[in-house]
This record gives sequence, structure tokens and C-alpha cells, in this order.
Amino acid sequence: MNQRIFISLGVPLTVLTGIAAAVVLAALPAIGQNSVPRTADGHPDLSGVWTNATITPLERPKDLAGKEFFTEQEAIAYQKSSRERRNKDVRERGTITDVANAYNDFWWDSGTEVVKTRRTSIIVDPPDGKLPPLTPGRRDELQTQLDAKRQRCQHNPGCEPENGNALAPADGPEDRPLMERCLSFNNVTPMLPTAYNNDYEIVQTPGAVAIDVEMVHQVRHIPLDGSPHLPANIRTWMGDSRGHWEGDTLVIDTTNFNDQVSYRGSDKNLHMIERLTRTDPDTLMYRFTMDDPTAFTKPWTGELPMVKAKGLLYEYACHEGNMGMTDILSSARSDEKKAESASKH
Amino acid sequence: MRTAIAVVVSCIGMLLASAPASAHHAFAAEFDSAKPVKLKGTVTKMEWINPHSWIHIDVKNADGTVTSWMIECGSPNTLFRRGVTKDSLPAGTEVLVDGYLAKDGSNRANGRDVTLTDGKKLFLGSSNPDAEK
Repeated sequence: MNQRIFISLGVPLTVLTGIAAAVVLAALPAIGQNSVPRTADGHPDLSGVWTNATITPLERPKDLAGKEFFTEQEAIAYQKSSRERRNKDVRERGTITDVANAYNDFWWDSGTEVVKTRRTSIIVDPPDGKLPPLTPGRRDELQTQLDAKRQRCQHNPGCEPENGNALAPADGPEDRPLMERCLSFNNVTPMLPTAYNNDYEIVQTPGAVAIDVEMVHQVRHIPLDGSPHLPANIRTWMGDSRGHWEGDTLVIDTTNFNDQVSYRGSDKNLHMIERLTRTDPDTLMYRFTMDDPTAFTKPWTGELPMVKAKGLLYEYACHEGNMGMTDILSSARSDEKKAESASKH
Repeated sequence: MRTAIAVVVSCIGMLLASAPASAHHAFAAEFDSAKPVKLKGTVTKMEWINPHSWIHIDVKNADGTVTSWMIECGSPNTLFRRGVTKDSLPAGTEVLVDGYLAKDGSNRANGRDVTLTDGKKLFLGSSNPDAEK
């Protein structure tokens, strides 16, 4: 290793703590341009900022049924038409759509390219690239929740659109979706792209791996010490993760979800298994399986090559500046007042 | 750093035919589609915060009084990666904002179009070759 670098910076090696030394050593490039760098304890080094931004959808589009991969030409054409669609300037003045469209393509950053592997969907199993059906029980549960929300918004001027413009109650912050509350952008379990800031920073030490998710600045803490999962009565927003190495692949096992988070219908019984393999210096292959027998009729698996990001991960301090929440609640109260005075005339 | 004005976006609207995973919140929850508004003012500052940055402008009213308005914009993390910085819209820049008024009547708007005095519309789609991947 380049001991000379330490000395020329004026920082003697003895001053560094064990962990700082491990982090610094891990950050030094390995000898050999194309080999994957390794940490001092011999594992592949997954450290760094990675992005999963892509236009490849979770599920295979209907018109691509049976087609698992794009050819290079098809991928280029798909990217071009996607870009054109997204940049088309359409005006429908005085409509909710027009208001929403001020959120223009400049602000989104879900990428402009399909995944490196040129797969037509992130889902690789079931082989048709589609989500397996929900269980009848879970379907009923979700329908009941939806019906309750619709019921509350019947003749209720205090309801406001969520993303997608369906009405939802706005009596208080707990009525609003997790994104508006700065709690989650549904991009953590599993780590799939959201609207923008699709960056993840991995810090790797022998005893644990930490993954900082830019949106919304949560940190996943994954012990590698062989300790068991938390007791079943402890449930959290990101579940409880435990990791171990299988050869050069980091395997992360996550359980103990609470009932507030759901990915495409998953429930608190979700058992998520993720695999991270640095296949080359610029690629972190991410594979995840969603095993949730009370929600999905069978487990499903997705694969997405994450790519080394160009810059830093930036803090997304959301709560501190969350004027959107106060503004939405204020809109609801104002709409209620207007309706009340209108009904008096 | 590329020329600030040339690449400054702003809140011009474009159709998202297949909108990706959702943003922090729906604009329709905050702004009134029945209340379009046109504001001509000068930039006083840009508030560089998440989840939304804000352009503050001073608008001179017909009676000579001045009203301060806030125009809601995107995440600074994303803007920064596109080459837009805190200094991209310097104080004193004249802009024309065409948008929708906040539902609760406060001096907030989302900018469907933001135009400079020379007629240049401020926007940058992802198809722009200057945009960083």
C-alpha cells in the first residue's frame, strides 16, 4: 500500500484509529486497473457511491412480452423514444395535470438509459418479468384500506391529491403518504430507483456495512458479526438486516418490517434477501428476492446493475425544509373553509 | 462551471407521459388549477433546500407596493448535478413566472413557465446534451 501518501500528508499512521485506517486503506485503489479492489480482510470492497437510476421498468411492458433482453439497437431506440415522450411539452391549461406538469423532466433524474445488461425488466423471476399475484387475503386487506380512504374523502373538501392525483385525507401529517412526510421514498427495501437522487453510499468495515440512501437520508446498518435478527416483536421501517459473505457476494437478510411500509403490496412478514456483487470496478450487481407468503403468491426476484456514481452523495435533509407538508395541510384547511362558506350561501 | 443563465432550469412544465416513481408531493395538493397567475418580478434570493428549493421574487404591484413571492422548484441535489447552483439565478434577475397560485391564497406559486426578459425560457430537459448523466 502507499505508505508514502500517509507520511506526505503529515499524518502518521500511528495516529489513525483502527477503523479510520481500515476506511482509508479501503479507499486506496487496488493494483491492476480492471480488478475489483479488496479490503484489508480480503473481501471485495463495495465502498463508494452507487446509482441505480434507470429507465428500465420493474415489470416487463406488455408489448415486450417474451422478450427478456434488448439488442443494442433496440436499447438505443427505446431510450430515444422514452426521452422524446418525457420531453414533449403538452399544455392543458387550468387542469390538475397542467399544475402537476410544472414538475418537469429537468427535476426528475431517474436516468436516461436502460440497465447495462439490457434486460427489459428489473424482475427476472417469474420469468415473464411480471409481479406474481397478491394473495387473496392481502388483496382484500389493501382493498379495505383503499375503500376506507375513499370513504373519508366522500364529499370531503379537506382531502388533497397524492402523487398520482388520487385524493387522500389531510387532517394531519399521519394521513399523508410516506414521501410527503419525509419518511420513505420506497427505494430502500428493495433498493430500487425513485424520482431523483438515486444514490446509495456504501461504507464497509469488517464488522458491519452501512448503506446511506440519499432519498431520504436513511442509513441501513447491516451487522456482519453473525448476530441473529431482532426478536419478532420488534418491527422497524427498514426491517432488521443481517449480512454475511458468500464468496465474493455480500448477502443481506432482512426481516422485522413494521406494517407501515409496503413495496408493491408486501406486508410486515416480508423476508427480503439481497445479494451485492462487485462484478467490475464500475458495477455493483444487485439482486433481491421478496419472499412474503402472506402477501405474494410466490417469491419474486429482481436484478439491477448499480453503477459507480460520478460525484458525491448529497444530504437530503427533508424534514427541516418540509414546507410541502405545512402547505398541503394549509391548503386542506383553506379548502374546508371555502366549502363551508359556500354552503352557507 | 458553465454559464449559469444558459442552463438554469426552472419550473417550466413538460408532460411526463410515463411519470417515474413519484416526487416528494403532488403539486396538485398545493396549487390551484383554477387560479393561474402571471408574475413579473426580480429575484431576491434562491433558497437552496430540500425537499424543494424556492426562488424568491419581488413583484411590483400596480399601486406601487411590492409583494414577495416564492416559486417552488426541485431538489437542489438534482439541480446541482445538472449544473444549476445557488448562484445560477442571481439577485436582481428579472423573470416572468406563469404558474398556479397556492390553494391557501398565500404568495406562493409553482412556475409552469419561467422566462427571462430577453424571452429565453428557462428549462432543460434530460435530452439536452449538456445535461450530466
